[in-house]
Amino acid sequence: MSERHDLAVTVAGLEQEFRARDGVVRALDGIDLTIEPGELVTLAGPSGCGKTTLLRILAGFVEPTRGTVEVGGRPVRGPGRERGVVFQQPTLYPWLDVRDNVALGPKVRGVAKAERYRTAERYLELVGLADVAGLRPYELSGGMQQRAQIARVLTNDPEIVLMDEPFGALDALTRERLQEELLTIWRETGKTILFITHGVDEAVFLGSRVLVMSPRPGRIVLDEPARFSTDGHQVPPADLRALPEFTALTTKVREAISHP
Amino acid sequence: MIRPPAPSRWLPPVVTLVVVLAAWSAVSASGIVQPAYLAPSPLEVWDAFLRANTNHAVGGGVDRVVRGEEGYYLWEHLVVSLQRIGGGLALAIVVAVPLGLAMGTVGWFERVVGPYVDFLRSLPPLAYLGFLVAWFGIGDTSKVALLFLAAFPPIALATLNGVRGIREDRLNAVRSLGASRRQTITTVVLPATLPDILSGLRVAVGFAWTTVVAAELVNGLPGIGGLAYLSGTQNKLALSVACIIVIGLTAIVLDLIIRTLEKKLVPWRGKA
Ligand SMILES: Nc1ncnc2c1ncn2[C@@H]1O[C@H](COP(=O)(O)OP(=O)(O)OP(=O)(O)O)[C@@H](O)[C@H]1O
Ligand SMILES: [Mg+2]
Repeated sequence: MSERHDLAVTVAGLEQEFRARDGVVRALDGIDLTIEPGELVTLAGPSGCGKTTLLRILAGFVEPTRGTVEVGGRPVRGPGRERGVVFQQPTLYPWLDVRDNVALGPKVRGVAKAERYRTAERYLELVGLADVAGLRPYELSGGMQQRAQIARVLTNDPEIVLMDEPFGALDALTRERLQEELLTIWRETGKTILFITHGVDEAVFLGSRVLVMSPRPGRIVLDEPARFSTDGHQVPPADLRALPEFTALTTKVREAISHP
Repeated sequence: MIRPPAPSRWLPPVVTLVVVLAAWSAVSASGIVQPAYLAPSPLEVWDAFLRANTNHAVGGGVDRVVRGEEGYYLWEHLVVSLQRIGGGLALAIVVAVPLGLAMGTVGWFERVVGPYVDFLRSLPPLAYLGFLVAWFGIGDTSKVALLFLAAFPPIALATLNGVRGIREDRLNAVRSLGASRRQTITTVVLPATLPDILSGLRVAVGFAWTTVVAAELVNGLPGIGGLAYLSGTQNKLALSVACIIVIGLTAIVLDLIIRTLEKKLVPWRGKA
């Protein structure tokens, strides 16, 4: 396992335009952003503001119209193993069962079957899917598919995890449990995480840094450090949310979203 | 749980069958059609079918027993025809699937090869049968080559179509896991295209079957199409009708086999 947790993500002068049927859609407008190794950056913003677009550019799925994207000082030229992606729509493979889906990353790297199943098992348990490991993805609910997708990315152990509203389809209880688990994993592994959400509370609760994007064309209109996830493990979440600083940041983020 | 199918499902086709057989028997018994050998009754067809599958006396006072028809039982004629399309289809799959994948994944390759595959598909195979006979002789080789050429365009084009229809994020997801180009093709492109490959195969089998029967007009014995043609020209219409029925039923069974294969290999069809 490569222990490289030194990959900063640097974005400069990023602009993205899409050719639509009735002219050009400007999705991103002048994004400058550096994500330091080990940060857990949450990104909020109104629907359609370009959050997914930014994530897809970082993932290497889309080439930006203008601007540069570098990871660890190297320009991004396509998808890469060091950048794991949790998609907004789960993309599991129906010809594989859940276990083989989750173990797919180690498989393409040539890890032996027993070992990759052991790793997969651990993350399947973490997301609460150990008992459905033998089912096919289309036999799972939407939320279960999303959890399987998260397990697949974590099993592959990327240094950078790009997550697009990963907990959007989950019930409140499961969401809170997975938020806790994500924080535990983040603290233990020091992974760099970009976490897109439309939940203001979630953004403030999880982030070591909270970003807000303006409506289309997306720009970053708020960039605040947060410390509830870093200090939080001594304080129960409910107490954390009751802190005046928590409420203050929540208000600030909400205002940035509604009046950019 | 498997329940016997409800009568509402099997009753209508059975009724139709009985009506058709009754009407057919009535027509051939009435003597409307003259000369009578042009309208063999269902029973005569059945007899011809049995005779063609057994050893029987030549008749006409000659004390000699022959094997089936033209030296082969009817089922042997059928098997020979099936072997021909089996060979042609196997070759077609081996060539067409990689070709379709290559066309779908390498842009310039599709532009270079695509028009010729389209052209080949638009040709009625019998148009080039004479050419193949000149090349490969009158025997089985030219027939297998014919079936190969007939079967591979639908499979290649269905494969291409399948590759084009893959959702982009299916490819992105596996690349983000670290898959190389080759691994992306083997772990995602190929299985994702499997439903389309099987659809193409289904079209190809139907097409190959009509083609083999037609191609057996030329030196087609043994062969079920050859027997159907020859018996007609020799005024053995009962045997010819028996062959036609066997040819039709075989087509239905072949299609059923592929549909079963689809269900086995692609249980996710329509679900994901
Ligand atoms: N491939 C594309 N072609 C054309 N327009 C696109 C494309 N992808 C995104 N867009 C446009 O870019 C804008 C930003 O889309 P994006 O998916 O990034 O929004 P988002 O912030 O993720 O929204 P949501 O919170 O609803 O997921 C939208 O107006 C969308 O219509
Ligand atoms: Mg989005």
